[in-house]
Amino acid sequence: MPYRLTRAEEEQESSDRYPMGRRQSSEEYVKSQLERNVFTGKLSDVLNSAVNWGRKNSLWPYNFGLSCCYVEMTTAFTSPHDIARFGSEVIRASPRQADFMVIAGTCFIKMAPVIQQLYDQMLEPKWVISMGSCANSGGMYDIYSVVQGVDKFLPVDVYVAGCPPRPEAFLQALQLLQDSIQEERRPLSWVVGDQGVYKAEMGSQREQKRSQRIEATELRTPDKL
Amino acid sequence: MSTDALDRHAPAQSGIDRALGLLDGFREHIEHVQPTLTGLPVLWVRRERIVEILRHLKAPPASFSMLYDLSAVDERLRAHRDGLPAADFTVFYHLLSVDRNEDLIIKVALTGGDPNLPSVTRVFANANWYEREIWDLFGITATGHPHLQRLLMPPTWHGHPLRKDYPARATEFDPYTLTVEGQQTEQEALKFEPEAWGMQRERDGSEFMFLNLGPNHPSAHGAFRIVLQLDGEEIIDCVPDIGYHHRGAEKMAERQTWHSFIPYTDRIDYTGGVMNNLPYVLAVEKLAGIEVPDRVKTVRVMMAEMFRISSHLLFLGTYLQDLGAMSPVFYSFTDRQRAYKVIEGITGFRMHPAWYRIGGLAQDLPVGWQQLVQEFLDWMPPRLREYELAMMRNALVRERTRHVAAFTTTEALEWGVTGPNLRATGCNFDLRKQRPYSGYENFDFEVPLGQHGDVFDRGQLRIEEMRQSLRIIQQCVDHMPAGDYKADHPLTTPPPRERMLQHIETLITHFLQVSWGPVLKPGESLQMVEATKGINSYYLTSDGNNMSYRTRIRTPSFPHLQQIPSLMRGGFVPDMIAHLGSIDFVMADVDR
Repeated sequence: MPYRLTRAEEEQESSDRYPMGRRQSSEEYVKSQLERNVFTGKLSDVLNSAVNWGRKNSLWPYNFGLSCCYVEMTTAFTSPHDIARFGSEVIRASPRQADFMVIAGTCFIKMAPVIQQLYDQMLEPKWVISMGSCANSGGMYDIYSVVQGVDKFLPVDVYVAGCPPRPEAFLQALQLLQDSIQEERRPLSWVVGDQGVYKAEMGSQREQKRSQRIEATELRTPDKL
Repeated sequence: MSTDALDRHAPAQSGIDRALGLLDGFREHIEHVQPTLTGLPVLWVRRERIVEILRHLKAPPASFSMLYDLSAVDERLRAHRDGLPAADFTVFYHLLSVDRNEDLIIKVALTGGDPNLPSVTRVFANANWYEREIWDLFGITATGHPHLQRLLMPPTWHGHPLRKDYPARATEFDPYTLTVEGQQTEQEALKFEPEAWGMQRERDGSEFMFLNLGPNHPSAHGAFRIVLQLDGEEIIDCVPDIGYHHRGAEKMAERQTWHSFIPYTDRIDYTGGVMNNLPYVLAVEKLAGIEVPDRVKTVRVMMAEMFRISSHLLFLGTYLQDLGAMSPVFYSFTDRQRAYKVIEGITGFRMHPAWYRIGGLAQDLPVGWQQLVQEFLDWMPPRLREYELAMMRNALVRERTRHVAAFTTTEALEWGVTGPNLRATGCNFDLRKQRPYSGYENFDFEVPLGQHGDVFDRGQLRIEEMRQSLRIIQQCVDHMPAGDYKADHPLTTPPPRERMLQHIETLITHFLQVSWGPVLKPGESLQMVEATKGINSYYLTSDGNNMSYRTRIRTPSFPHLQQIPSLMRGGFVPDMIAHLGSIDFVMADVDR
């Protein structure tokens, strides 16, 4: 259908005759509006992205701690570090209400079945952060009572190095987990799509930052503050 | 063992004479008087009469009212036994008399493939867990023990890890796997059987409820499990279950060098930081015969007190949180952040600096440390006043904590309770005053005491202790001695770097001492300190090697948890949570 277009505010032309304004005929209007408003991408990408955005910005941590790392994890929850900035201040005492579990401390052989039980009680979607050397690999404790890394039985999403890691490191791990969640593809419903969970290969931070880190040539001496 | 070192740390002959005098009736049962660097009389007695001997020593006039420690040594591979009675295993009882400020170590030699000795649980109630521990870790049977089961290792475990023929490393075993079936077996093994503990399932036709609290519970401060037998909300009985945090630190000490074990000590009481280094390095220095400069002593005291404050702040926040107050933890952690600024500025690390060294410190104080510490010293007092006003004078907190989980000094000593929890009962026993170490005798401070030994006093007392710690730190800032940060001694580790640059001989010596670590002469030493949570001690046995033959770590939280059932019977569940908060324990300090 042909339209007639009159612009509301337009540069005054030299003519001062009423009716003001320049009229022109246009057939492109509907077509262009159609192109602007109708989404031609994949709906599932948008939905996934929106759902992931929601998930990653309200991650509820499970109140679970094993050893020293838990103290630094708790420090991240309190005011000076304020984990609420990242939407994760809602600590849950029950695994059934939590989104992610931080293995903050040493994983003991006596404790491993308990950890497994608690992990099983968490509802999908769920994630695991392994915090500190002990949880990553056993760390300093290559000893009869310690499991050499919690990934011997749990799927780990983010590893945080340190013994114990600083609260800032834990917060960074949380952000890395958020980045990874943004890229995830999970079934949007039990009837939509294939029911697999696709996780993006996020790559190790050590490799990504190596070139930047080795640029440091002058290190501060410990003799002064 | 050099004779002068022996002289310096040897117990006064009068101590040995007194101990022998007290055991006059048992003279034919005393096998040996062992010279050690522990500073305490060490007597070897025959196994048969151990119960009578301990009963005699507990009663007046000896009045060794506390069984401070009980553990064992696998003697089978020990090369230097110089005149000690023949033994495959040794069990030792460390008795402490608070009244006389005197200690005595009684040792019993065991031989043969099935080591056993009579249980002393009828004499000292707190021998219960210690005897279970030596059964678990050494396979030594305490006959007549009411419930001789594994304590630290899982019930399904095989072998006794602290025996010398048991492998230390996890990597010496097959890699850990958890199967669905294995998971079920382990969960089944963790199931609580009331009958096994002599508990009834019902009374007068009504069933008791058995509530499993832990091993992961928000108010349990770590991996601690306690099973409650409940009638309504009343606790009829309870059984604590520990061992979910056993990191094998004592076994670890048998394979790390004297020097490289220091970082492991930080992680025993993980809120105590360098406070844990202190008893260990002091005990090693006794073995090595090192006398450290005054500056080292003072810096050590200063940093240990910093960690006492940091630990007590953590206590205060979580203690009030367990009572239901959500805000205090945010305040106290803000202060901890301030404390860490100082700790990190000086040591370079937050929680586990591992900053003390054998014969000194890792490095000297950095330029400008005074101002850093002074800022903290100026920051804290108003905060402490605020805490007292807002929290401890709060009517709800007072109602909630007064006369809750109270115990007397006698009960505390019976269960081996030390530190602030003992002083909250009014017992004036602080090692910094009673047996000054690392120069505490030069400081002017008071020992705060409680009256009622209840949850309130335990909280209030720690606020007061922080004030006293601030006083001590202020004195360190004002009167820091000049001098070296390392002792001038061949066994100081690592040795001063300037010394290695002389010629090839000094370079080789330096290299060996850094790579192999120092070799200490055979001997035994012990150092107790007033740590954040109570008395912490390291009992070291050297066999003339670059690592320890046996390291016994006595931690304060272990007996504190053992005391819970005796205290909570007849109490309510929320009172137990309040009590757990007031004990101030971390599981690494229980299970090691």
